Amino acid sequence: MISVKNIYKNFGPKGEIKVLKGASCEIQKGEQVVIIGPSGGGKSTFLRCMNLLEEPTYGEVWLEDSLLTPPDPYLHFDVIEASRTFGKMQAEHPERAKEDIIREIKEKDLLTSREGKAYKTLLRDIESQYREDINKARSRMGMVFQHFNLFNNLTVIQNLILAPVELKLLSKEEAEARAMSLLERIGLADKRDEYPSKLSGGQKQRVAIVRALVMNPEVILFDEPTSALDPEMVGEVLDLMKDLAKEGMTMVVVTHEMGFAREVADRVLFMADGVIAEEGTPKDIFENPQNPRLQQFLQKVL
Amino acid sequence: MTAWNTFYRQFIELEAYKNFLIGLKNTAIIAVFGLLIGLVVGCLLATCQILPKTNRFIKFLSRVADVYIAVFRGTPMVVQLLLIHFVIFPAAGINIDSVIEAVLIFGLNSGAYVSEIMRGGILSVDIGQTEAGRALGLTYGQTMMKIVLPQAVKNVVPTLGNEFIALLKETSVVSFIAVTDLTKAFKSIGDSTFEYIFPYLMLAATYLILVLLVTGLIKLIERRMRASDKR
Ligand SMILES: Nc1ncnc2c1ncn2[C@@H]1O[C@H](COP(=O)(O)OP(=O)(O)OP(=O)(O)O)[C@@H](O)[C@H]1O
Ligand SMILES: [Mg+2]
Repeated sequence: MISVKNIYKNFGPKGEIKVLKGASCEIQKGEQVVIIGPSGGGKSTFLRCMNLLEEPTYGEVWLEDSLLTPPDPYLHFDVIEASRTFGKMQAEHPERAKEDIIREIKEKDLLTSREGKAYKTLLRDIESQYREDINKARSRMGMVFQHFNLFNNLTVIQNLILAPVELKLLSKEEAEARAMSLLERIGLADKRDEYPSKLSGGQKQRVAIVRALVMNPEVILFDEPTSALDPEMVGEVLDLMKDLAKEGMTMVVVTHEMGFAREVADRVLFMADGVIAEEGTPKDIFENPQNPRLQQFLQKVL
Repeated sequence: MTAWNTFYRQFIELEAYKNFLIGLKNTAIIAVFGLLIGLVVGCLLATCQILPKTNRFIKFLSRVADVYIAVFRGTPMVVQLLLIHFVIFPAAGINIDSVIEAVLIFGLNSGAYVSEIMRGGILSVDIGQTEAGRALGLTYGQTMMKIVLPQAVKNVVPTLGNEFIALLKETSVVSFIAVTDLTKAFKSIGDSTFEYIFPYLMLAATYLILVLLVTGLIKLIERRMRASDKR
């Protein structure tokens, strides 16, 4: 469904803040993946790279067969082989194995912006064959934010139908019907004409989840959906998420709710220092952690 | 003859009120259309500055906007008026009605202020609103038009109102380029009767009434907008 390949993300004007350092993962259709890890480890950044709210510095993000990022030359051996740098290194040491040269180029980040015509053509071919318009791709992936981010200038129903109608995925009537049946399902049909400022935190977040659902997404990304909620409202949001999980919605959830991770996750990723330091079933991760950082982390949070 | 009688005779019997009405009309035209042009120019400038600087062209536009704003905010209105009317337009061979010219110049000037107001308004909208829009697959433009700008405009209505009031009062300098506005109308009454008390008191009163009217109008708009989100 989603595959994230060797993502690096640097922030700051000169890219001096290195947040993601080669993180990868594969999300299968119908799978619920929970990402846990210490604060500042890059979980949000990683999740936001999946729908390109952050543009990865290196690496590729794929949604099914669509490439969302520009192709990363380091991930394509044939592209590296076509580069001038590779040609030069091979000419200097004809005895060296191809794989060896490629490894050195990757490790030392030797590719530049001028690598010759063949190299450029190959990259352009990949691009034209696989690259998908980011807005189109995003309409296939929902996202739920820690701070809800409901549109303050629109009523609940307007929040729900804006994107599908604006993107011409549904007619206004279809979108409204769909939105209303989802609102009924979460018991908020009577709030259809309220503005978000009138809703409680839990209601806001459930409406935000419905806003993603109206788009009929293939996957929903959640970034700490319950962290900004009063404790008594956490349950209603988690319950809705559990329902979605049971229905087989593909979900990637960054959360500090370990109970949710244990109960719902098919797979747990532990992210620390910008990499996926360990991954496994909830059982593996919580009962038999290998990585010392994970052991430490679990001691603190459990 | 008392000062009041002099004024009354000049205003009513000698029909200076006709001149007053022309002045009132011109002042209103310059202020209102100046603001409208200012809004258009200001939104364009703010857009140039706020677009993500992804390519050289946008960076260039943003620099142009910076310079424009610096020049128009950094020099007095009167100077701009004189410079454009007596130097730039003649040099460019442009010869248009002075009122229209004043509208243009005030619009250009106001644009610089409006753009700063709009930019502040846009930046004051939580970035999460933009992210939510983009995450749904809306384009930058759609997110701006449907989500960010409506909130930004609501935030800046009071400030835009102040800008309009400032503009309205500043129109009093257009007599420098021979436009009959309120100020000029009352000044000429004074000049022809050598009695200045009532012309200038009336002048002040007229501006005051206009400003109070505008203030009321802004309050009304503000209330309307607030009603829409019941906060
Ligand atoms: N736009 C940015 N500019 C500079 N630094 C950033 C930016 N976004 C994130 N960072 C830094 O990247 C690091 C990782 O941030 P991120 O939000 O991904 O962590 P996290 O694992 O989600 O943490 P938390 O559990 O606190 O949400 C942090 O140190 C943060 O300061
Ligand atoms: Mg986070």
